[in-house]
Amino acid sequence: MTGEYYVCTGCALLCDDIEVETEDRKLSKVHAACLKGVARMKGCSDPLECTVDGEKADIDSAITKAAAILRNAKNPLIFGHGNSSSEAQKISIGLAKKTGAYIDDTSSFCQGPIVEAILQDKLRTCTLDDVRHKADVIIFWGADPSNSHPRHLSRYSYFPRGKERQRGWEEDRTAITIDIRKSSTAKICRDTRFYQIPMSADAEFMDAIVSGLSGKIPKTSFDFDKKRILELANVMKKAKFGVICVGLGLVYSLEELEPLFKLMEKLNEVSNFYLIPMVGQYNMRGFNQNLFAETGFINRVKFNSETGNANHGAENSVVEALKNKSVDAALIIGSDPLSSLPLSVARYLTEIPLITIDPCQNLTATRSTVTIPCALGGVEAGGTAVRMDGVEIELKKIVESDNLSDKEILTRIMEAI
Amino acid sequence: MGFGQFLAAPEIKLKIVTYRDVFQNTAQESSRFGEEYEKLSAVIKLDLKDISKLTIKEGDTVIVKNGFGKVVVKAQKSGYEEAHPGIAYMVNSPWSNVLVPDETGGSGVPKFKNFEVTVQGAKGEKVTGIRAL
Ligand code: SF4
Repeated sequence: MTGEYYVCTGCALLCDDIEVETEDRKLSKVHAACLKGVARMKGCSDPLECTVDGEKADIDSAITKAAAILRNAKNPLIFGHGNSSSEAQKISIGLAKKTGAYIDDTSSFCQGPIVEAILQDKLRTCTLDDVRHKADVIIFWGADPSNSHPRHLSRYSYFPRGKERQRGWEEDRTAITIDIRKSSTAKICRDTRFYQIPMSADAEFMDAIVSGLSGKIPKTSFDFDKKRILELANVMKKAKFGVICVGLGLVYSLEELEPLFKLMEKLNEVSNFYLIPMVGQYNMRGFNQNLFAETGFINRVKFNSETGNANHGAENSVVEALKNKSVDAALIIGSDPLSSLPLSVARYLTEIPLITIDPCQNLTATRSTVTIPCALGGVEAGGTAVRMDGVEIELKKIVESDNLSDKEILTRIMEAI
Repeated sequence: MGFGQFLAAPEIKLKIVTYRDVFQNTAQESSRFGEEYEKLSAVIKLDLKDISKLTIKEGDTVIVKNGFGKVVVKAQKSGYEEAHPGIAYMVNSPWSNVLVPDETGGSGVPKFKNFEVTVQGAKGEKVTGIRAL
């Protein structure tokens, strides 16, 4: 072992306590990471090849072709970014501005509204270090970190002994899961701390908790045991430092954020509560912050190629732009929309000139006009990234690679346009 | 050839809830085209009552379809203590995404986690491969 600590980019927890052993420019051992993190850092078994029109190509001709595609497009789409360093994201934003592109990321159809509300100071947030040292009531709402962020409970939210939580989970912390199914995380919280609610009932359940917190009888249309809601409200009221970890289950179930705003407002009237979005991809939040700094919007932007002005709105989201077939070329960076979007929406990508930049082969790459392999972030390339709680984390390069970083590739495409 | 071959397999309507699984996610990091990723992704988890309605056994393949697409995946018991007839679970994957409706009401957000399908025994048909989706 090198005695040095590295960062895992397997999810937006960006665990920074990883030790590694290397052999032939590969990581032979990865210590302290979870299963998913080890697999991420060791790299995939089917790396992406550099190709143009399905034939092997050298990097120079791939970059020339990619630049030509973007230059000739009237309304290109640049999508991905969650698995790129902040430095690469900033170049990508510049590239979008130059080419009058739509630019978007996964937050557009997941945690976007929550991150946006946090950046606009509409929701009270804290860091994961605060959670580790202070949190005594932790609520996983529509979130299952045991599967999505495997070290969340052990590093921050439940098991560790923090400065003000020396007795850890045994005595000092209460973890609660609110979900539509008994997830792995719910099992850890045990039956008394698991609140199973019907599908799409999250907003109503929030209102019921607000009633409980206000000393009223909490009624629900699905007849949830009132005593249990009152118990929950009581635990929340007594919290010294409470945190709600917002998962995708909650985000997808809320049609608007108003019920969540109301709940947080009430909680902070009678108690002390914070909220952290359970961001998936390691630097999704970084993209949101970088685009926000440049345009005032976190995602769903279309640049005007002449004025450089940013237009924002649902019609500029990756999903609507593809559905409406308003894009005529696409550059995908560190993402696989043909896997991760509804196929009925993503299929249109196969009808237009498509460029993929990624360390690994994926479905979108198999349908791309140009594929350019890039160095794996946090292993073969360094940079900075923003953790789910907004803390900036430095990524170090561990081993050399023949591939350029996505930042270098994007810079070269930009120069060639 | 059994007589069952000539009978239409019963078809039932179900709601699909998608979820994440760390083992499937790990397999994805290694290779999206690997056997392991298919084995852990191309699966539908059913309530015992729904399994018997479909007249299938655990491990049989089923056709899952709606107006947006069709996939053949393996049927498994969900293993949840509480019964959940009418609701089935699929891990978030390219297979579930074949079935996610494109309807968004202009919001830019598809209903990834909650949509309707019909399910029917596939009478031994093979699981849809990732490249055939
Ligand atoms: S929890 Fe996330 S960041 Fe930490 S080791 Fe696992 S995948 Fe990596």
